[in-house]
Amino acid sequence: MPVSPDSSRARVALSGALDALTLPAWMVGFGLFGVGSLARDVGYPADIAVLSTVLVWAGPSQVIFFASIAAGAAWSAIAIAIAFASLRFLPMTVAIMPLLRRPGQGYPAQFLLAHCVAVTTWTEGLRRLPAVPEPLRPSYFLGFSAACVGVSACTTYAGFHLAGALPLPLAAGLLCLTPIFFLASLTAGLRHRADVVALVLGLALAPLSALYVGGGFDLVVSGTIAGTIAYFIQRRRRR
Amino acid sequence: MTQPIAWLDGPWWPYLALFVFAVLPTEIWRWLAVGFSRRIDANSPMLEWVRMVATALLAGVVAKLILNPPGVLAQLPLWLRIAALTVTVAIVAYDRRRVMQAVLSGEALLIGCAWWLAR
Repeated sequence: MPVSPDSSRARVALSGALDALTLPAWMVGFGLFGVGSLARDVGYPADIAVLSTVLVWAGPSQVIFFASIAAGAAWSAIAIAIAFASLRFLPMTVAIMPLLRRPGQGYPAQFLLAHCVAVTTWTEGLRRLPAVPEPLRPSYFLGFSAACVGVSACTTYAGFHLAGALPLPLAAGLLCLTPIFFLASLTAGLRHRADVVALVLGLALAPLSALYVGGGFDLVVSGTIAGTIAYFIQRRRRR
Repeated sequence: MTQPIAWLDGPWWPYLALFVFAVLPTEIWRWLAVGFSRRIDANSPMLEWVRMVATALLAGVVAKLILNPPGVLAQLPLWLRIAALTVTVAIVAYDRRRVMQAVLSGEALLIGCAWWLAR
C-alpha cells in the first residue's frame, strides 16, 4: 500500500501491517509453527511457546532453546549457544537503526524498535523503509513487525496443538521452513557482489568452523572471517 | 532431559528458564546495538563491514540448521535438505522478486520426496 508524506501515523502503521500480511508475516509465522511442536516435545506448556515467539522473536534462538532442552544440554551451554547465534542482531540492528531513529526519540521507543528486528523485518525493512518518508518510518516498521509477531504467535500456538497430528513429511517441512526462508530472503537482499561472497563464505565456513572451533564460538568465528573477507573485496572493487 | 535448577524449581520454572536462557541472550544484542548505533555514522565503512558480518552469520545459522536439524527434520536425509535449499536459492538468484515461489518450490521438493521416501 502506498504511503504519502501527509498520511497519519496510524494509517502508515496499518499499511505496514497490510504489507506484512501479503507474504512476509506468513513466512515467518509458518516457520515458527515448528517451534510450537518442539516446545510440546519437551513438555513445556503452550504459553511458553507463544511467549518465546513474542519475547525472543528469533526463530533460531527458540529452536536452539527447545531442541537443546530435548537433547539434555546444560543450561549454561544453552545460553551461550543462543547468545552466539544471536550475535547477528548486533550488526543487523546497528545497520537498520539509522533508518528508524528520529530526533527526540527516547530510549524506550528505540528499544521497542530494536526488539522488532528479526530476519524478516530486517531484510524487508532495509528494502522497504527507504521508500517511506523519514518521519513515518518508525510507524511503518512497527505496524509491519506487529503483524509479523501477531501471526507468528498464532501459528506457534497452532503448532503446539497440531504438530502431533501432522504426518512426518509435513512436520519436517515446517521445521525446514526457517532455514529455507532465511536463505531466500538473504539471497533476495543481496546488493553487491561482495554480499554474495559474504553469503557463500558464511555458508561454507560454518561447517568447517564447527569442526575446528569448539565451545559454541564456531558461528561467530566463521561469520566474522567470511564477513571481513567480503568487506575487503568490496573495498578493493571500489578503488 | 535438562533438569531445572533445584532451588528454583516450581511451576514457573519454564518461564524463568525462557527469560534467563533465551530472552536475555538474544535481546542483549539488540539493546547493545541501540547504544552503538548512536555513535556510528550511517554511511561509515564500519557499518558496511557490520552488514557483511551479519549476512555471513545468518548464512552460518542456515548451514547449522540444515546440517544439525532440530526435531523430526533430522529424520530426512541430508541430500534432500540440501536439495530443497539449492532449488530455493536458484529460483531467487534467477529472479529476486520470486521469494514466495522459491520457498514454496523448496518446500514442495522436500515434502514430496519425504513422502515418497516414507512409502
